[in-house]
Amino acid sequence: MADNKISGFLAMMRRPSAKYSLLSLLVVGFFSGIFFWGGFNTGMEATNTMEFCIGCHEMRDNVYVEYKKTIHYANRTGVRAGCSDCHVPKDWTHKMIRKIQASKEVWGKITGIIDTPEKFEAHRLQMAEKEWARMKANDSRECRNCHSYDAMDVEKQKLRGSKMHKIGIDEKKTCIDCHKGIAHTKPKGMKEDEDE
Amino acid sequence: MSKSIVSTAVVGALLALGTHAAFAAPDWSKVPKRDIQVFHPSVTPMEWIAKKSDHSGTAGMRKGESCIGCHEEKGNLNFNMKRMVDKELEPKAAPKTMNFPVSVQAAYDAANLYIRLSFKAPAGGVDKGDKDNEVKATLMFGDAKVPQGIQVGCWASCHSDARTMPGSDDKKTKYTKEGAYELVQWASKGNKVSDGSVTTERKMSGGTTGAKVEGGKSGDGYTLTFTRKNPGEGKTVPFGFAVHADNSSGRFHHVSMGYTLGIGAEGDIKVTKQ
Repeated sequence: MADNKISGFLAMMRRPSAKYSLLSLLVVGFFSGIFFWGGFNTGMEATNTMEFCIGCHEMRDNVYVEYKKTIHYANRTGVRAGCSDCHVPKDWTHKMIRKIQASKEVWGKITGIIDTPEKFEAHRLQMAEKEWARMKANDSRECRNCHSYDAMDVEKQKLRGSKMHKIGIDEKKTCIDCHKGIAHTKPKGMKEDEDE
Repeated sequence: MSKSIVSTAVVGALLALGTHAAFAAPDWSKVPKRDIQVFHPSVTPMEWIAKKSDHSGTAGMRKGESCIGCHEEKGNLNFNMKRMVDKELEPKAAPKTMNFPVSVQAAYDAANLYIRLSFKAPAGGVDKGDKDNEVKATLMFGDAKVPQGIQVGCWASCHSDARTMPGSDDKKTKYTKEGAYELVQWASKGNKVSDGSVTTERKMSGGTTGAKVEGGKSGDGYTLTFTRKNPGEGKTVPFGFAVHADNSSGRFHHVSMGYTLGIGAEGDIKVTKQ
């Protein structure tokens, strides 16, 4: 019985329309496409805003407080890098993959895995290691949306940064190799890198 | 009788001259001055310095970079001072003055090495561990076996388990895993001079530098002239110094980074020949 219904529906979908003109179908299809695609992307972009990220107290009370003290939040040039600038890829494909992965965090929210400062601290190392591994694997892609060795004039930097960046360039290091904890408190019990 | 008086006087005069020659103060007006910043180091022992997750400059150190190679710029320090005073690196409390300049002059002759330090010791410390001495000034000279001595100066003797470090044994002194340091200290109470060493432990006596210190407090500052046996012309000697101001003790000193003394040789501080 159910099989008959499905095959009937499929047959109807395949049959050319006798009632609507091709133009009407195309116009309706075109505008519906814009509506749904635009709606989808707008919805996805809404999840990229700082307001969305700190909508949950887990982020607002922990990492957000730490981030607000750093140069990525406030600096002399007035350029801010928000949560998604560092944690969500810019290009669509990688962004989609990241968003699908991040949907797992909804389960974490429901089960309250980091819903107290103590629980957050207990999981900080694990969460940080996961993010560092992602950044290492993609050659610090999100850092490089703004920073690059090509655009960097090490001679204009302070001695400390200048010398270290020269080593980084020579050894083909990626940003996250050295800049862990640049926007959030470093977790306790960090492992040293394998190349050391 | 008069003959013996004359000969005694002659011998005495010769001895006095000899002693004077051996400890002839250099003409300091001809010795260049260098202002070196000493700073409160918080809890950054050698173990911290050598751990990349704590100190990203570890990568540079492994390539032979010295502390001053990155952290001394235009005569100032370029540390992240906010991090230095943060509770994580300074669980007790940071002193009011995190760093101050010490004017350093160095000269040598055949017999001795002379080092003159001039500074104003700041108040506002957070540790009054040494009730007897308002101020102490200490010089350390490393030998060639001290690990990374040329790069780090006396830091190789600063360890996380030494006294006054958080959770450490109160009886454990500074030490070096290899090699040895000569240690010379001047303490304000009674102008006491200690001639010691740092090996597996720190000893405040038994040193072989023959150290003497002249000077003391003058006006609102201190000028101290250290005289010690010349380690040898043509040598580059790892060197560092510290000031314990405001009755402080242990790690609550203001310390210099590591410098090399060039005694008729290359060095961060060129020692002037007299």
